[in-house]
Amino acid sequence: MSKLYRSREGEATAVDTKTQLTTLGSETAPGPLLVPAGAKNLVGLLVAAMENMGAATSFSAFVRLEGPGLPGGPEAIAVSAGGCTVITGGNSNLLSKFIPLNIPVVSANEILVFGEMAGTDVGQVSFGVTLIFQQ
Amino acid sequence: MSKTLTVEGDLATVDTRANLTTQGSVTTPSLIVPAGMKKIDKILCAAAADGLAVGSAVFILRIGGSSVARGEQTFVISASGTIAAQAGSDTAPQVGQLFVLDDADVDVSPSDSLTIAGEMAGSDNGTGRMVCTLVFA
Repeated sequence: MSKLYRSREGEATAVDTKTQLTTLGSETAPGPLLVPAGAKNLVGLLVAAMENMGAATSFSAFVRLEGPGLPGGPEAIAVSAGGCTVITGGNSNLLSKFIPLNIPVVSANEILVFGEMAGTDVGQVSFGVTLIFQQ
Repeated sequence: MSKTLTVEGDLATVDTRANLTTQGSVTTPSLIVPAGMKKIDKILCAAAADGLAVGSAVFILRIGGSSVARGEQTFVISASGTIAAQAGSDTAPQVGQLFVLDDADVDVSPSDSLTIAGEMAGSDNGTGRMVCTLVFA
C-alpha cells in the first residue's frame, strides 16, 4: 500500500488566530487539499514551523486539521515552541518532524489545514505541513 | 538491493520552484529511476538558507516526473528564520540538519524520468541550498 504526500504552507502573523495554510511556495492557489482517491487513512504528518524572531517574547505553535475529509471531526496537533530575548542576531533552522497518526479519512473530500501561533506575538511563524495518506 | 540518486541545487528566490539537477562536480547526473526499482523507499534531504534576508520560511521538496505513479508528491523538509544582526556583531550560523524519511513508500516506474525540485516558501531568507538523496528499492 503506497503512500501519497500532499502539502500546504503559510504564515501566521497574529497571535491566537487560526490561519489557513493555502499555498505551496510557487503554487499560490493550489486549490483544496483533497483526500486522494482510494486513501483510507491519514497515517502521519511532516510538520515544520519557524518564527521570524521579530519580537522579544515566546510562543508555541500547533496545527489544526478540519473539514469533511475527516469523519471523526477536527484535530489539533502540537508542533513547536520558541522565543528570543532580543530582536537582533537570530538565525535558526529546524527539521521537519514526522508525527505518526492513524486517522480515518474520506476520499475526494477536503481537509483544511491551519497553523496557529499561541502565547504571545513573536512576529511571524511560517508553517509547512505534509499530510501522508495511505490506501 | 537499494540504489541511490543524489541531486542538489540553489534556491535563490522565495516561492520559486528550482529544479535540483546537479551533483556538485557532476553537472548532469542521471535523473532516471534505476532499472528494476519500483519504489522510493527512503528520502534524505537537507536545506538551509544563508540568512542574508530577514524573515521565516519553510523548505519543500517536490518529487515528480513521468516515473512517479500517482503524480508529484510534496514533502515539508525544514523551516528557517532570521532577524537582522545588531550593527557590528555576528549572527549564529543556520545549520540544516539531515531530514530522513524512512519507509517513504512512493511508487515509481523503473527506467523512467524523475523531476526533483526544491522551494523556499514564505518570506525570503536569503539564498537557500538543498541536497536530496532518494533511496530506491
